[in-house]
Amino acid sequence: MNINWVGLWTIIRREIARLWRVPVQAFLAPWISALLFIFIFGYVVGGRIALIGGHKYLEFVLPGIVMLNVVNAAFLQSTSQVYFSRFLRYVEETLVSPLSYAEMIAGILIVVIIRAVVTAIGILILAALFGASSVDGIGEFLFWIVAVSAVFGLLGNIVGLWANNFEQLTILNVFLITPLSFVGGVFNTIKMLPPYLRWMAWGNPFFYFINGLRHSMIGFTEAPEGLGMAVTLGLVVVMFAIVLRLYSIGYGLRE
Amino acid sequence: MTTPALSISHLRKVYRSGTVAVDDLSLEIQPGDFFGFLGPNGAGKSTTIHCVTGIATVTSGTIKVYGVDAVKDYREARKLVGLSPQQFNVDQFATPYQIVDWMGGYFGMNAAERKARTEMLIERFGLKEHAKKRFRELSGGLMRRVILARALVHDPKLLILDEPTAGVDVELRRDLWRYLQELNRDGKTILLTSHYLEEVERLCRTIAIINGGKIVQHGPKNEFFTEPGGLEAAYLRATGAEADHVAAQ
Repeated sequence: MNINWVGLWTIIRREIARLWRVPVQAFLAPWISALLFIFIFGYVVGGRIALIGGHKYLEFVLPGIVMLNVVNAAFLQSTSQVYFSRFLRYVEETLVSPLSYAEMIAGILIVVIIRAVVTAIGILILAALFGASSVDGIGEFLFWIVAVSAVFGLLGNIVGLWANNFEQLTILNVFLITPLSFVGGVFNTIKMLPPYLRWMAWGNPFFYFINGLRHSMIGFTEAPEGLGMAVTLGLVVVMFAIVLRLYSIGYGLRE
Repeated sequence: MTTPALSISHLRKVYRSGTVAVDDLSLEIQPGDFFGFLGPNGAGKSTTIHCVTGIATVTSGTIKVYGVDAVKDYREARKLVGLSPQQFNVDQFATPYQIVDWMGGYFGMNAAERKARTEMLIERFGLKEHAKKRFRELSGGLMRRVILARALVHDPKLLILDEPTAGVDVELRRDLWRYLQELNRDGKTILLTSHYLEEVERLCRTIAIINGGKIVQHGPKNEFFTEPGGLEAAYLRATGAEADHVAAQ
């Protein structure tokens, strides 16, 4: 199979150029939001909360804050890339060129991952100001950032293909992503949940994402690491297959 | 026998709404031809072009570009085609230089090739002083030039121009005509759609008229001039507009 490397790199260049046009929205906004979370929940409130698993509350809550912002960055980057290319019709530039569908999807995903990694690193730097930015396993940390941003990059791709107006772009974020992420263990352990709600955490993929990132940063975990990684990689494979299929039938792309 | 530059066989395109835009359309364009594709609004010209270039899916039928199947082997087929669409399908916030350069990139041209070709086209289309402006800040005529430059960046063998002179001034139109004739003389096959019959009459050697998704007349240009009234009369007759006009009187 011939890969159009220059074409792939061009999609990346184009999307990075687009990203540079909105640095406040892309990077400054999530960093300010994260800073507020760190200050209020980690520093002000967290100072009055007992250690969790031997860790200060700020250290415990930081992986969740990073994950919330990684998820948002990945989803927003992907939906906006796909939706605006359809809305302004410049997706047709790629449709008439010799790019494979996998290359188009990969180009979008790579920029999604770049944005997510930069967002995460920025939050870690901010957290360092409050003395809480340890990363125990850098490889594991990167795995979670890259894999989770890929999941939400692919999900955003589907939403970007499906949406026909700006409001539809935010529906999933409001009704699914934000609620699931908040109950997925950003601010609390599973043990803190009422017993009748604990089972829900095991069916919530956000629990595995946050738990995995928390393990990579401070070594604290409530679930087997392998299970979380398998769930996440499984989601990447299944969603990539779905997105590839949607591209190949031209869903939302071709008339 | 020479392989046609474009061969469309029994093309049918039905939109999700159920509208039949193209119905059993077959035509061939020979290499080096300057082919005029005429028809009223909604006749199926742009849909046919979209099926050839991959913007639209094909319901049934086959399309081959220089013998390469445009559906099954779409990546190879795309390399041979350059499209200047009717609508400005670009990132409105990008600059003309970026738009042309990126298109070269999608076609796999390396940095040196892209730079040389982009600079040549920017110069050729009088875009040098506008190269760093945003596309949305340009006038309609300048926008059209950017779209044309973009279509040519990878030096396609088959150039498809969907109403390339719509909304441009007389000077640019004539300059463009000269340039297209040069390209055609150098061997490039051109498919042109236009509502300006004068343009088609002046440039094209073969003409097809489409109406209601079907080809209603097709042949060398001189066949359209056998009766009084020339191309306009032939066009009105072929599209049924003449009969409607007489009936209204």
